[in-house]
Amino acid sequence: MISISELSKTYGAGEASVAALSGVSLEIGDGEFVSIMGPSGSGKSTFLSLLGCLERPSSGQYLVDGRDTGALSDDELAFLRALKFGFVFQAYNLMPRYGTMRNVELPLIYAGVGRRERAGRAEDLLRRVGLGHRLRHKPTELSGGEQQRVAIARALVNDPAVILADEPTGNLDSKAGQDVMAIFRELNAEGRTIILVTHELKIARYAGRMLHFLDGRLVGEEVHP
Amino acid sequence: MKLDDLTQIVGDNLFAHRLRALLTIVGITIGIAAVIAVVAIGQGGRAVILSEIETLGSDRFFSITVDTSRGEAPTVDTFRMEDASLIKELSPAVEEMAPVSYSSIVDLRLPESLEKPVMASLIGTTPDYAPAGNLALESGRFLSSADVSSHARVVVLDAGLAKTLFGDAEPLGRQVFVQDNPATVIGVLQEQSTLLGSMNLHYTYLPITFAQDILNSQVIYELVGVAISKEALPQAMNDSIKILNSRHFASTIHYTAQSMEDTLSTVSKVTSVITMVIGAVAAIALVVGGVGVMNIMLVAVTERTREIGLLKALGARRRDIMQQFLGEAVALCLVGGFFGVVLGAGGALIVAHFAHWPPLVSGWTILLAFGFSAAVGLFFGIYPASRAAALSPAEALRHL
Repeated sequence: MISISELSKTYGAGEASVAALSGVSLEIGDGEFVSIMGPSGSGKSTFLSLLGCLERPSSGQYLVDGRDTGALSDDELAFLRALKFGFVFQAYNLMPRYGTMRNVELPLIYAGVGRRERAGRAEDLLRRVGLGHRLRHKPTELSGGEQQRVAIARALVNDPAVILADEPTGNLDSKAGQDVMAIFRELNAEGRTIILVTHELKIARYAGRMLHFLDGRLVGEEVHP
Repeated sequence: MKLDDLTQIVGDNLFAHRLRALLTIVGITIGIAAVIAVVAIGQGGRAVILSEIETLGSDRFFSITVDTSRGEAPTVDTFRMEDASLIKELSPAVEEMAPVSYSSIVDLRLPESLEKPVMASLIGTTPDYAPAGNLALESGRFLSSADVSSHARVVVLDAGLAKTLFGDAEPLGRQVFVQDNPATVIGVLQEQSTLLGSMNLHYTYLPITFAQDILNSQVIYELVGVAISKEALPQAMNDSIKILNSRHFASTIHYTAQSMEDTLSTVSKVTSVITMVIGAVAAIALVVGGVGVMNIMLVAVTERTREIGLLKALGARRRDIMQQFLGEAVALCLVGGFFGVVLGAGGALIVAHFAHWPPLVSGWTILLAFGFSAAVGLFFGIYPASRAAALSPAEALRHL
């Protein structure tokens, strides 16, 4: 359960300061599939990184399962990121030096999970996203769609309740994009909350709830049951 | 994060930039090697010098000289021939005492030899010099009182000189020319495997009277003595100076007594200062290496900013990032330290081998070097690592 009130984010200080997000309030229930739309510079990515506790808001309140994230220390936020959220990025953000297995295991390494368990979970997830035949490959040897599926497996490895995806299909062709969205839909069906930033209406329509951002404000909302 | 995972990540990261890591390691290697080599060579040399000095005289040995630090130089009136025997008679603490006339370099040659003369230091003295200077005879005899009183034209050679002049032939009874003055060899000293010998410093001993004839100078440079016991050394030195002062009351000379102990501590002080100074210079190399580590780590932080953002997004804590970067810095330094120890200790051992010194690379030195390189890694790694750890994940992810 995510609850936000009057959330604002300002970059810089004084005259040069830019308000990336101003006064956003909303609630996202467990198991929702939400898409966030808006032109570039509308504050949608900033909003997503605030949701994922990648940065702290300038003002306002953000509660995760009733806990005020403003009161958490950096380490507690890291803990929250590790266990509650899974991130999927537009550019995949895989570690080019590591193979797919190790890329998926990465969050578990920092969570202190042992080697054997890590390998088991990573392999299961890679099979699940249809990459059982790509366990030993380096990211550079994979197609864009495959890399993004590795990234999704990585996002899932800690079994997070919330998946945060920033333009996950932005670098993919429509077929690969559809595959990725199919996985998100499946994850949502399992009861996970999906929050997805996109500027493509076709992608946004996968979500049951669409939020529209403009100039750092939440300007509209559509619900498709 | 578990230790084995940390180790693997650090290893992977360093291996990904192996040339860069290698060059950084070279910097640390040079620094550590320089420090180890200097310290080891310094300690070895010092030990050798100290043991050398100990062989020069007994621990009851002392000498009376003028105060050279005041710019004084001995003249004909400074010491009298009788001073030595008088001090020996008057002070119960003094066992032996000998006057010394000295020339730092004289030439010796065989009568009909066409070879170049051999250079040696000349010591003109009395029989008491033998116990004072720890001289042991290989063959023949040392100077006698009769030799001194009769200006006897006799010499005692050290082992090196005897060998150079006579080879394997028997030197006793043979003639040598000291500064073109014929003299008979009456004694040869035992060989001392000391630094002085290897540096070709040779000594020849003459009756002080004969020496003064050769040198055409009545100046006595110093009195050397032996106290009856080590405990009596201060009294022996005090008595000697008191007697000299009363006998030369008109003299402006400041008689100065120095024991072997004093010499040892002075030399030991000097050598340790030298070692420290050179060590400090070597430490500069280590600091330069450390700055190299810091530089490379700062580059790594900048290059991997996005990666740091990603790791934080995936749940890595500040501490994890810190450990990772510190680990890399320390690993660079430890590897550099290892090669530095090998190189430095190896160099020191080689020097010790060729200089015939005792090898003085102790386990402590090596342990210290490793500790030091780890400390260098921590010190120079902490700033880059904390910069990496302090990055905001969102900002780091936006970094290109």
